Amino acid sequence: MDLKQLYALMERFERTSLSELTFKKDGEEVTLKKGAAPLVHVPTAGIAAVHAQAAVAAAQPPAGLPGRGSDIEVIRAPIVGTFYRSPAPDAAPFVEKGDRVKKGQTLCILEAMKLMNEFQAEYDLEIIAILADNGTMVEFGSPLFEVRRT
Amino acid sequence: MIQSLLIANRGEIAVRIIRTCREMGIRTVVAHSQADSDSLAVRMADQAVCIGPPPARDSYLNVRNLVTGAVLSRCDAIHPGVGFLAENAGFAREVIEAGLIFVGPDPEVTQLLGDKIQAKQSAQKMGIPVIPGSTGSVADAVQAAKAAEEIGFPVIVKAAAGGGGKGMRIVRSSSELADVLRIASQEAEKAFSDGTLYLEKYFENPRHVEIQIVADRLGNAVHLGERDCTVQENHQKLVEESPSPAVSAELRATMSADAVRLLGGLGYTGAGTVEFLVKNGRHWFMEVNARVQVEHPVSEMVTGVDIIRQQILAASGEPLEVRQEEVRLGGYAVECRINARSAGRVTRFIAPGGFGVRVDTYLHDGAVVSPYYDHLVAKLIVSGNTRLEGLTRMGRALSEFVIDGITTNLAQQARIVAHPVFRRGIYGTGFMADMLKEGPA
Repeated sequence: MDLKQLYALMERFERTSLSELTFKKDGEEVTLKKGAAPLVHVPTAGIAAVHAQAAVAAAQPPAGLPGRGSDIEVIRAPIVGTFYRSPAPDAAPFVEKGDRVKKGQTLCILEAMKLMNEFQAEYDLEIIAILADNGTMVEFGSPLFEVRRT
Repeated sequence: MIQSLLIANRGEIAVRIIRTCREMGIRTVVAHSQADSDSLAVRMADQAVCIGPPPARDSYLNVRNLVTGAVLSRCDAIHPGVGFLAENAGFAREVIEAGLIFVGPDPEVTQLLGDKIQAKQSAQKMGIPVIPGSTGSVADAVQAAKAAEEIGFPVIVKAAAGGGGKGMRIVRSSSELADVLRIASQEAEKAFSDGTLYLEKYFENPRHVEIQIVADRLGNAVHLGERDCTVQENHQKLVEESPSPAVSAELRATMSADAVRLLGGLGYTGAGTVEFLVKNGRHWFMEVNARVQVEHPVSEMVTGVDIIRQQILAASGEPLEVRQEEVRLGGYAVECRINARSAGRVTRFIAPGGFGVRVDTYLHDGAVVSPYYDHLVAKLIVSGNTRLEGLTRMGRALSEFVIDGITTNLAQQARIVAHPVFRRGIYGTGFMADMLKEGPA
């Protein structure tokens, strides 16, 4: 399913009285839900851009709080924006899981009001996990990376 | 028509806006700070976007996060609510530039009305009585002294960019004037980054009466009668009622016509209020509040018109649902603002109910009253056929209201509503100070 078809499906769904809709075709599966915590689940990362919400809207601990292990820290979005892992759609990501990153190196871009804001590592670190999907909306405080100081 | 609306506000007004949106089939996205992530508005909205940490300057005043949040959550409009960015022309411009609808007047109109000197001059040009005062701003002490001499003491010094009593001072004699100007100018400079001042005649103990207007983009401007907001403490309104016990049918007609002429003439869109001082049966223009107001439910109760709904229709370019000749000012309505006097968690919440009772609030059992924001936690609005019936009902409703876990002004509101001077209806803005001088209840 391409983006245009997905948008059409979403728009049509909004106008119905249905509260939930699951659509399967060619191994792809899309579920649309209405109500208090609407969520769209799309297996393809890029498409999830249209709907990123409740999942990351849950109450968040303040930035920098330890994650799983005591030495693991979570880097959170300092602004609302669209999360990009690479400088251009066809370019390689700034960082990958397992990368060792030097202080000042760019981790990601958050696009807000047509401005590409580059976010840099504030200290030397290792990327443990990438928590946001490329091209999705992130809220203030959304977790972006799990890191360990090196 | 607006399909998806981002609400750039919190508390009871966010809940109020969501309710009308639900009735109109509009999807709502509420922007919230980290302190409000579990709020009633967040629960009620179709979607929520966290736009910053608890302090308002980083969240509810964060233009970039609000506008980005609206765009990325596929909204086509932003409602600013009351306070925060509601009367900020720069915010409205950013919203429009991002291709969204701003639910409010055009930024040019907001900007003009935000400058109190320009607003007053516009009113004067349209033949509306204005408070005698300096022609425009006063540049120095000499000019101010000359103006004060012409007006006659006492005078009040006000900030051109003013609001909330900042930069405002009463001067009773010429010897105080120079010092007061310096202090007021500094205060205004700090609060609004604009130290421009002007002088007005100071009226002792006047009444504060305002006219509610709704206007669309097709040239219709309709008034919904007046609200009397004379009961104030430190320039903060506590009780609002309609009709005003101090306004005759003739005065109502004149004030309403003035308000319609002013906002109609300026090409105003949406909900707006024209504030007047009233004394001895005369009225003087004070200022325009270019937004929906906290006390708007009072007018909704006497007219049956949903003001938020008209605002959204007007912003969408649709016509208002009422014409002036269809507006019926029926009966009486009064609102008590319930303010928190401490922050904390509400352990028990029981709202009053019954005939003619409305509660607009974000409270519920377990709700958190945050120390970061305005202390208004609930609005209790009742209607009645007459003022006496309405005030009796308000007394009854206040006595039913239970808010445990925080301290509130419920008891003080009950005292006001039962006070013989308030009951008689003959008083001015000094009423609260006089009542408090009588000692604790």
